Amino acid sequence: MCGIAGIIYKDKKTHKVGKSLTSMLESLQHRGPDSAGFAIYGGLNLPENNYQLNIEIKDNSEALNQVKTTLTEISSIFQEELIKSDEKYNVYRCEISLNNYSMLKPLIRNLDELDDVQVLNGSHSFEMIKDIGKVKDIAKRYNVTKRTGTHGIGHTRFATESGIDRYHAHPYQSYIRPDITVVHNGQITNYWKIRDPLERKGHIFETLNDTECIVHYIADKLNQGYKLEEVLEEAVKDLDGPFSILVGTPDGIGIAKDKLGLRPGVMAENDDIFAIASEEMSLQDVLDTDHVEQIAPGETRSYTL
Amino acid sequence: MRKYIIDAKNMEEKELNRSIKEHAVNYDKLIIKNPQSNHNIAAGLTESVEIEIDGSAGYFVGTMVDGPKIHVKQNAGWFAGDNMTCGELIIEGGTGDGAGQGIYGGTVVVKGDTGSRTGEIMKGGTVIIGGNSGYMTGLLMMGGRLIVLGNVTDDAGESIMRGTIYVLGEVKSLGKHAQMEQTTLEDQKELKRILTKYGFEITDVDYTNFKKITNNSKQELMW
Repeated sequence: MCGIAGIIYKDKKTHKVGKSLTSMLESLQHRGPDSAGFAIYGGLNLPENNYQLNIEIKDNSEALNQVKTTLTEISSIFQEELIKSDEKYNVYRCEISLNNYSMLKPLIRNLDELDDVQVLNGSHSFEMIKDIGKVKDIAKRYNVTKRTGTHGIGHTRFATESGIDRYHAHPYQSYIRPDITVVHNGQITNYWKIRDPLERKGHIFETLNDTECIVHYIADKLNQGYKLEEVLEEAVKDLDGPFSILVGTPDGIGIAKDKLGLRPGVMAENDDIFAIASEEMSLQDVLDTDHVEQIAPGETRSYTL
Repeated sequence: MRKYIIDAKNMEEKELNRSIKEHAVNYDKLIIKNPQSNHNIAAGLTESVEIEIDGSAGYFVGTMVDGPKIHVKQNAGWFAGDNMTCGELIIEGGTGDGAGQGIYGGTVVVKGDTGSRTGEIMKGGTVIIGGNSGYMTGLLMMGGRLIVLGNVTDDAGESIMRGTIYVLGEVKSLGKHAQMEQTTLEDQKELKRILTKYGFEITDVDYTNFKKITNNSKQELMW
């Protein structure tokens, strides 16, 4: 099934987005027990050209040393933290500086070549937290309720298409354009039709997962100059299969539902908040309203700061 | 009237339904406080008890019930009243997709808007929608009546076999095997009876404006 949730605070100030998303996703826990994740925008406040990396490393000091050696070949490490994920794996979180954004993806690929190492993401304007297990446990492990930001998206995963691991937990990120994330409930049935033209453009796919395909599709469209709302409308036209996709960008969030409306999506808003989720119970955690809108088949909704 | 209040806050879905079933035997009315949009509330209940859900319900509220009168004071999720055989489900707000899906009997009333595929595969009973209804309203209907006071969007009555859809508002398009015609005087009388019963106040002129969607096949169905 999978559960999706997103929230944006209209005043552009930072709020406890981590706490809000945790509540929303806990209410959707029954939709997916395998893994969960968050993309929290607007709270990192990194200097220009600085990036936060989240790297899965087997509990093995040699692998961590190799990661640090690779990183220090091109950047100082400004902040670092080793978070114990389970008995075998840690997540190494650090901040680095690069001369330009185009260096980020090659660095990630270099790191991925190391034994026992998998880069989960690299971002500038949002914080990615994703792991295996229940929302409550992940939120506690990564102190998510203390994370602040202007907006964010999140996911609870019921794995259907690929393995249950940290990398395949949502959100997925594309590096075609900085800081684009997607969470998704559904299946894309014309996967190769979407992937082929993107690969011909030189975009790199790391998995066979359809959500990765969607995030590259979205990022590519944004790169072509489409606005978020327009990209979502294009997605409804181009993507086949049942889906509700929720996109996060540095200044907004938006949802698109498939033409037949085979996956759920509801939204509600007030003067302060615009929120989207798979189910109403998730919205009730952050909004006191009985005016909940069902997102219709083929409909899109978005909010940009 | 003997009433019992169940506070559903922090209750697991099964725990809530167990409590509903236990108390439905001894009380005339159960009031569910803090329902928190839980799924499957009152699923499979067969007592003729009144149930007031003081908030929103999640998916499958009143699924497979036979007898109770359920009143949801806010919204409901997908498949409200799914496969009910007898009883009443009244929802003051709106619902997600598939309201009244597959019902055999009883009445489902949604006072607000609904999502897609309202009344899909219903075999009997009555579904009333006070607002608008979405894509493929009455999909694969096999019986019963579906009344929509607002508008319906594309493919209304898609692959309808039996039963009737009445629409007061606009019909964006009809689905396959569906035809639309004017209502008869008998239809209008029956619509007035049932809608008045559930508190819908519309004018006599409005009753003459209902459209009627049925199967367009001239041949008898094979089953």
